[in-house]
Amino acid sequence: MECKVAILWMHEYLDDDLPRDDVIQLKEHLLSCPECRMRFEQLKRTEAFAQAAITERITIPVAASAGRSAVSSASLTNRIMQKLPQQRRKQGWMRFVRNHPAVTVAAVFVFVMMTSFLAMWGQSSELIVSGSDLQHVVIDGDTVIVPAGVQVNGDLTVENGRADIRGEVQGNLTVIDGSLQLASTAKIVGENREINQALDWLWFKVTKTVSGLAY
Amino acid sequence: MISIEARLARMALRGDQEAFAEIVGLYQEKLYHMAYRMLSNRQEAEDVVQDTFLRVYNNLDRYDETMKFSTWIYRIATNLCIDRLRKRKPSYSLDAESSDHEGLDGYSMIPSDDRTPESETLLSETQRIIHQAMDTLPAKYKSVMVLRYLQELSLQEIGDVLGMPVTTVKTRVHRGREFLRKKLERVL
Repeated sequence: MECKVAILWMHEYLDDDLPRDDVIQLKEHLLSCPECRMRFEQLKRTEAFAQAAITERITIPVAASAGRSAVSSASLTNRIMQKLPQQRRKQGWMRFVRNHPAVTVAAVFVFVMMTSFLAMWGQSSELIVSGSDLQHVVIDGDTVIVPAGVQVNGDLTVENGRADIRGEVQGNLTVIDGSLQLASTAKIVGENREINQALDWLWFKVTKTVSGLAY
Repeated sequence: MISIEARLARMALRGDQEAFAEIVGLYQEKLYHMAYRMLSNRQEAEDVVQDTFLRVYNNLDRYDETMKFSTWIYRIATNLCIDRLRKRKPSYSLDAESSDHEGLDGYSMIPSDDRTPESETLLSETQRIIHQAMDTLPAKYKSVMVLRYLQELSLQEIGDVLGMPVTTVKTRVHRGREFLRKKLERVL
């Protein structure tokens, strides 16, 4: 047997990985080769010393007195437990966010849209009158009056108030968040609508925007 | 059938602090021992142990139950140790000098009981040389040797921990052993 192979086998032997038959062969070689025998002795002792040096028990130190390992290791446990971040439960929804980014984005989008929409809807409680011809319209408190015999050219829109129509409206009449009173003499050429629901209001805004864009 | 550690990990994930304390109790001494042998410094060893458990805690949801828990936790701890060894490389040999060997017990080294004063001084001298030799081992051999001599893990598991094939682990054990042998030559 070559010494090179023998050295490799020595290591295998020390790793507990050398098959029995090879162990016998190695021993035969060691008996015949004093150089390898010495090397093997050195390796065995290295192994034993290193093993002993590393497995030698060490104690985990407490602040002042090193000693009883049970006490000090318990205090290390405490130190570790104290360093942990508190309330891991809190991270539950963060995990959800991480796992479902699309759902989260959609939810945030819907939330923002809803709030801005509700803010727009509930924004004004003031009386707003709009139209192209308001010259003859009379406003009395929260009531918008189109007196008898008067003719309003174009549309008339009343928000947050009552509309009392006695005369003639040539265009559409729209009442938002209010009430409409039509006298027998009233005449509305265009459409006549009352809007009180958020959805109706939205629809109105959308159609108005779209028709505004169309012209 | 899942391991005790995996079950404790599940409980800790559900917010059970006691369960996590159990895991800490199971591993802190082993990890401290390993880290101390790698770093030869008590304070750093304790820091590594604390960092390891912090990482384990924060990544419990990513623990793969098909892997042995010990492999996972040793991997985290050895990586932290190797990082530290790399960082302090310039002042490395100076640091190694200051390693403490208090509480050193020659008794633990001798299998037989025929101690003489001479053999004890010889042993502590040998031990000092061994620790010095271990400290001069390059990090890649050191991690393998420390894990192997601690005898907590098989060669296969050491390979899993360090992310290398068993054959590489063996080669490093052999080279590390030869390295130590040469360092110790005059006391053997």
